[in-house]
Amino acid sequence: MTARSSTGSSALAHGWVDHLRAGGTTPWLAWSETGSGTGSGTGSGKDRPARRALPGAQQLELLRRVNLAARSGAGPAGDRERTRLADRVLAASAAGRGKADLPLVGLPYSPFGPRPVDPAEVGAHELLRVASVLLADDLVALGPDPVRTSWARPWRRRFRLVGDPVVTTAAREHLLALGRPEGGPRPFVVAVGAPLDDLLARTWTQRCFEHGSKPWADWLRFWRERDQLPARVDLLDSVHRWHGRRPFVRVVTDLTRLPHQVGVRRLPDVRVPGADQAELARRIAAVVGLRVPSAERPALMRTLRRRIPDTGAAPVGVPVRERGWVAASAARMARDLTRAGYPVVGDLADLAPRTAPAAAAGADERRVLDLAISMVVDPTWRTDRTVKSEVER
Amino acid sequence: MSRRVLLHVGCPKTGTSYLQDVLFRNQKVLREHDILYPAERFDAHFLAALDLMTLPWGGIETEAVGAWDHLAAQVRDWHGTAIISHEIFARATPTQVERALASLGDAEVHLVLSVRDLVRQIPAEWQENVKHRSHVTYAAFLRTIRDPERDSRIGSWFWAVQEVPDILDRWGGSLPPERVHLVTLPPPGSDRGELWRRFSRTFGLDGLPLDLTAERENPSLGVPETSLLRTINERVTSIIAPPDYRPLVRETLAHQTLSRGVASARLGLSPDDHTWARELARDWIDVLAERGYDVEGSLDDLLGPDLGTFTDPDTAPADQLLPPALDVISALLVEAARLRAVEERLHEELREAREERDRARLTPTHRVRRKIVTTLEDSPAGRGTLDAYRRVRRRR
Repeated sequence: MTARSSTGSSALAHGWVDHLRAGGTTPWLAWSETGSGTGSGTGSGKDRPARRALPGAQQLELLRRVNLAARSGAGPAGDRERTRLADRVLAASAAGRGKADLPLVGLPYSPFGPRPVDPAEVGAHELLRVASVLLADDLVALGPDPVRTSWARPWRRRFRLVGDPVVTTAAREHLLALGRPEGGPRPFVVAVGAPLDDLLARTWTQRCFEHGSKPWADWLRFWRERDQLPARVDLLDSVHRWHGRRPFVRVVTDLTRLPHQVGVRRLPDVRVPGADQAELARRIAAVVGLRVPSAERPALMRTLRRRIPDTGAAPVGVPVRERGWVAASAARMARDLTRAGYPVVGDLADLAPRTAPAAAAGADERRVLDLAISMVVDPTWRTDRTVKSEVER
Repeated sequence: MSRRVLLHVGCPKTGTSYLQDVLFRNQKVLREHDILYPAERFDAHFLAALDLMTLPWGGIETEAVGAWDHLAAQVRDWHGTAIISHEIFARATPTQVERALASLGDAEVHLVLSVRDLVRQIPAEWQENVKHRSHVTYAAFLRTIRDPERDSRIGSWFWAVQEVPDILDRWGGSLPPERVHLVTLPPPGSDRGELWRRFSRTFGLDGLPLDLTAERENPSLGVPETSLLRTINERVTSIIAPPDYRPLVRETLAHQTLSRGVASARLGLSPDDHTWARELARDWIDVLAERGYDVEGSLDDLLGPDLGTFTDPDTAPADQLLPPALDVISALLVEAARLRAVEERLHEELREAREERDRARLTPTHRVRRKIVTTLEDSPAGRGTLDAYRRVRRRR
């Protein structure tokens, strides 16, 4: 460690903070080696709040990466916006349990507290803890998108959608806008099936965009070790929950024939969010839960689902070690549905898993962080009023 | 505006549950003496801490929305002394501390930290981890916390809430030392009321007619009991969700059943770990003495008891685990029977409600109307007619 006085070190560190607030991108080690901070730094310190506690390495490194991203693409317009964003990043807490705010390496440090680090070495996981707080606050400030509704058509077919939560949520939303709300007296219970590995992946993904969930691998393990299926995945249980009687139940595995079952000619195609989108949503949902009453969280997360930028990443897939259990569960579910004798639109054999062995099992944290930073930097996802209700499959 | 705020921020496992319970149950008496402990529910300050620190906690955090601001507003509006107390505040980062202190307005803030020697805190923290779903062995836990990098989740949390000089740096850095109060836990074997007397003097509660009955404590477990619980966690943590774990494992098994094993060996430190913990304590005592804080008790209390007989929980033999295991099975069967009774009662209530509904449907007019409705529901035109009829009915 370079020997410096405590005052000089403090000036150096605060000089770097000013530099970052002014949009600088110099890494901490390069900054401290040149001793740039003992002067005024790149930032003039104008509009700087009174000297406060030095933010943690997580916040500082995230701000540096935000500045890097802003330089290479769309960023906040104007100095004031940029400084406002910088101050938000620096003041943000890192959500959840994890490391404390980490001090910077190279400064005189207390023998107590966490060890100092080079901010450039702080992992994506730690940076995501801060970024998810910023995005959750953005989402809460944005508020939920309005739900499109129309007067209920009296002649509509009564239905109750269960099963594949990604498809049913999109269909429900679309049908509500057409004046065909779910429910009503003596509805048809329409159970939407899919290959079980897809169904599990979509159920977890949908949970991330509702109340949040545990990580994909842990969630899957939870159900595998219990040898049970989640409520929305278990089609037979879903039908029973709505007291579906045989003539009023349809198990749909052929999605092209789903519109007819709910009384319309077509339904919009649905794209399943990618693994990185779902993982980011999962982290954001945890923070949104601390910001708004739980009843308001699903509407906000639905808004995020509609607005989150598409990265082209594939949805999560079932890892190899879980595939035996998934195949056995699919066979059991198909057997139970056959025994129950419900009319099937399609073929129950389609419930068998089909994931290619090469499918990615989960999200790459670096890609999740890239997505998070792009959303922190580029406000288009919040300001664009022309969000498509669904994107093409 | 509160004239004085006593902000008690830790540490965990220092008798905080008992203190908070006394404060919670005696709010009315305290108010009569111009002391505010603002809590609509027992865990109100815990929720405030989760909110302040953006800390999800197994789903409970959804009840914490706005809890810190609400608590701070009550404190600001009070004319006398206000008390805030929760041990996980100890983990707050410098930025969160700044926000917390700023939101208390211009009141004279006094920081209170209750502290206990590491010789007892380390086993207690491991036990607390085990009671919160962890199945880390004692040896692995000790390795983790002795790792100077503190990279792990367990290590970073442990030191964030137990490293006394660091907690005081973060929380007390902006306060004069005379407004920082350390309450040390008396050594083992001291009079049972001594800790309360120290709290009472620090919080200015002496002479108040408080009900001090212990209603809510966080009891400790013996070696075989903790070992058994850790083994159970290995099997159940991945398949029992936190909302089920809390009532079934933590409450029913740990607190209500296993904590009764008072005759079991108590957990301590091995000779090597004991020496390390005491050396660390000596460093802390020197630093704290230099800082000149107000100490209730003695800093020497932080040194901890001498080395005792060490019983390793990681190698507890099966014959020692058997008695608590049988207790656990028995407790779970009793709990299952209780839940079956609840289920049976609910079924009975549902059956009665259905019978009542069916009796109402037995009338000839209801049967005729039912027939008309089912016939109409079978065609789009009929459904339209029914919808129109229902709208007209609703308008009337």
